[in-house]
Amino acid sequence: MNRECGEGIVLTEGLHFTYSGSQTPALVDVSIAIDEGEFVLLAGPSGSGKSTLARCLNGLVPHFHGGKFGGRVVVCGLDTREATVAELARHVGFVFQDPENQLVSMEVEREIAFGLENIGLPKDVIGKRIEEALDTVGILHLRKKHPKELSGGEKQRVAIASVLALHPNVLVLDEPTSELDPQGAEDVLKVVERLNDELGITVILIEHRLDRVMHLVDRVIVMNRGRIIADGEPREVMRDERLRETGTEIPPVVDLTLKVMEHYEPDVLRDGFKIPLTVKEGRKILRPLFRRVNGVGWKPKTHHQTGKIVISIENVWFGYEYDQPILKGVSLNVRKGEFVALLGRNASGKTTLLKHLIGLNIPSKGRVVVCGLDTREATVAELARHVGFVFQNPNDHLIADTVFEEVAFPLKSMGYDNIEERVKEVLKLLKLERYRDCYPRSLSGGEKQRVAIASVLAFKPEILILDEPTRGLDFSLKEYIMKILDGYRKNGRTVIYSTHDVETAARHGDRAVIMSEGKIVIDDEKHKGLANALLFSPQINRMIQSFRRYGVPEEILTVEEALEVIDIGLRRGGR
Amino acid sequence: MMVYKEANTPIHRMNAMPKIIWAITILILSLIFDNPVVLILLFVATIPPAVFGKIIKEWSFFVKFGLFFIPVIVLLNIAFNHNGEHILYSLGYDLPFFGSPVITLEALFYGIMMGVRLLVILSAFAIITVSVHPDDILMLMLKMKVPYKSVLIVSLSSRFIPTLLSDVETITDVQRTRGLELDRGSIIKRIKNRFPVLVPLLANSLERSVEIAEAMEARAFGENKKRTFYKELKLSNADKLVSVFIFSTLLVGIIARFLGYGIYEYYPVLSPIELESIILGVLLFSMLVIPYVSVWITYNSSEPLAHGGHQ
Repeated sequence: MNRECGEGIVLTEGLHFTYSGSQTPALVDVSIAIDEGEFVLLAGPSGSGKSTLARCLNGLVPHFHGGKFGGRVVVCGLDTREATVAELARHVGFVFQDPENQLVSMEVEREIAFGLENIGLPKDVIGKRIEEALDTVGILHLRKKHPKELSGGEKQRVAIASVLALHPNVLVLDEPTSELDPQGAEDVLKVVERLNDELGITVILIEHRLDRVMHLVDRVIVMNRGRIIADGEPREVMRDERLRETGTEIPPVVDLTLKVMEHYEPDVLRDGFKIPLTVKEGRKILRPLFRRVNGVGWKPKTHHQTGKIVISIENVWFGYEYDQPILKGVSLNVRKGEFVALLGRNASGKTTLLKHLIGLNIPSKGRVVVCGLDTREATVAELARHVGFVFQNPNDHLIADTVFEEVAFPLKSMGYDNIEERVKEVLKLLKLERYRDCYPRSLSGGEKQRVAIASVLAFKPEILILDEPTRGLDFSLKEYIMKILDGYRKNGRTVIYSTHDVETAARHGDRAVIMSEGKIVIDDEKHKGLANALLFSPQINRMIQSFRRYGVPEEILTVEEALEVIDIGLRRGGR
Repeated sequence: MMVYKEANTPIHRMNAMPKIIWAITILILSLIFDNPVVLILLFVATIPPAVFGKIIKEWSFFVKFGLFFIPVIVLLNIAFNHNGEHILYSLGYDLPFFGSPVITLEALFYGIMMGVRLLVILSAFAIITVSVHPDDILMLMLKMKVPYKSVLIVSLSSRFIPTLLSDVETITDVQRTRGLELDRGSIIKRIKNRFPVLVPLLANSLERSVEIAEAMEARAFGENKKRTFYKELKLSNADKLVSVFIFSTLLVGIIARFLGYGIYEYYPVLSPIELESIILGVLLFSMLVIPYVSVWITYNSSEPLAHGGHQ
């Protein structure tokens, strides 16, 4: 490992950057100093400049992405303007968001060798370093695999191993978990934690889901609109009002504690109060409070839909290959007006099942009837008049030159009239009016997602299906989209979406369906379905489970519900 | 279906170098000879490796593809080639551009043999595609002093073919759910219908290539220092010997062709098959099959050892 750098391993001084062709600066006066061995979380909403800052640290900005660069970045004693990206690569390892597009070889071993070959190491050293990297990251068993045989989490760990082999002092990870399922994300973060803890590698991590990493990091830097707005220890930053103002998702346990502090006298939490960063800490800190909340008569608000059945799935089996079924006898009925979350790990069959609802997949055995049409008989085009489908990646939707045409395209191909009005209406609903004449692909990720949703909502399908609509979005956008969907459902239409994000499913919708290995394992009203479901319980619920013996209802899923219970409980307790 | 799959057969375990020289030899031989006997025997010579390598299923996919083209080649040949004396059918009057169309036995036969030639080439390369690890081909290119950047481009394209295919699938699905019917209407309409699939596919690929470039630079790609290679194609003496042997088949063929053996005339009348050309065909056939037969025999006689063997 390179030993010439000591403290202040990463320094930026008055850093400004504006991408060429852009009017607004991506970074404004960013000055940070990160010490060797620190684990730093870089937080903030989408478009706040986190990725740009990360790319400044290994020289991709300004060497790869050109623009107006001001100030100074020094990493391991190297000024990034003078050093090449290749030189910096020996000091700064970079792991990107998309697991697919950073693996360039057809075999894991060769993937790890790639960087080492580039810097011209002799063969025997490369061999040694490959072993070391595979072992450190815990992927010895993957050495001969082709990337297409790997899951997302495995790909990310291969990416980490491949930069680790270069013996960097600093590891920068740009949302490495945003495309992974909870298990994959946990595997990746565990590795990162170990690298920091055991090898003393300085880590700079960008992550939207603070609840996953809060307890691992030494320091949180919050960015908004290209500026650093908060910088400090996790507990300190969590109490900072400015964090909430950026629309960042505060981990539910933290959020609950802060709100309890705000609404009640601090003494309800007794002395020695601190902000919990994990569920375990939450249990400890909030236990005294919940002990006093006994015997409340709280019941969760549930919507029981009694409309007619619009989707009927009867014992469906499906597989692309004869001997490898993906769906193994799935049955599900969905009523008009329901808002259903479909949860499950990657490859549990969620997308495969959703595709059955519009005839893209036809059951090998069993039957799917949607709006009275049997999918084995109706064509996709016929079903598409009743069912709207928003795919995972909005890029796959975008074909037109302007947002207007994009939204009008399906209307035209289905032969609707008064297209102009319909498009206008839906653009207004999704706050896209000002992008009407923009090129859709030049928009940000969240805006693209909204355009994709708009193009489907425009023809007002009776059933709306979304495959991971919130993936990779920041908190405020997630909430916005979920609210739009809820509004759409309230007009007597049906919404089904798949997600990994249990917290979102806990806050919105009214029914949770959990799949595992091609079967539906849980299908219930969300409070019953998500409570005590181990991997698929929201944070608050996992905490509350240990308070059941005080009479705290076990169906509490969200911060709001927990506050209601506390409120009732404390009032009854005669406070 | 049509890509490399790891398998433990004598054919898969054989070094890439002799296999690729073998395919190139067959390619060249099939191009310099149009003798029916030689062409047919060349095709037969590609069957044993497919059998020994247990890749008949994948191999036949390529061959079926070739069979599909034979009628096309035959039709084109009889439509435009009016040489030959044995007239099977004559239209009897002149057509503009085509002249007076006649179908001759010779043109028909020639067309069929050209189809066989296509089949030979497809069959030989099917065996390479299915039984040689793509990395081995790249390492062979490096060994032959092909510049690294060119090899890298080939490597990256094959790496991302599965990604591209799944992209095509998803985007097609997206457009179908938007009411696009790909298989309806006239051919022109159908081609036009594909545009909504093509546009996002190209745009996605472009964006992907930028991301790949970023990721490569972040791992020191483009450093000026001389690059090293972790894995290189290893050639044992036996591999070299087999390669030389196969290469000598090519030389035998070329020399025979210069000396005038194996020449066959299709026009004006089909010339008779001479004993010489049968001998030449059998000789080339045996030389092309011997290496595979011998690895197969050695493999089977040392079966218990082979599993614990190298790699």
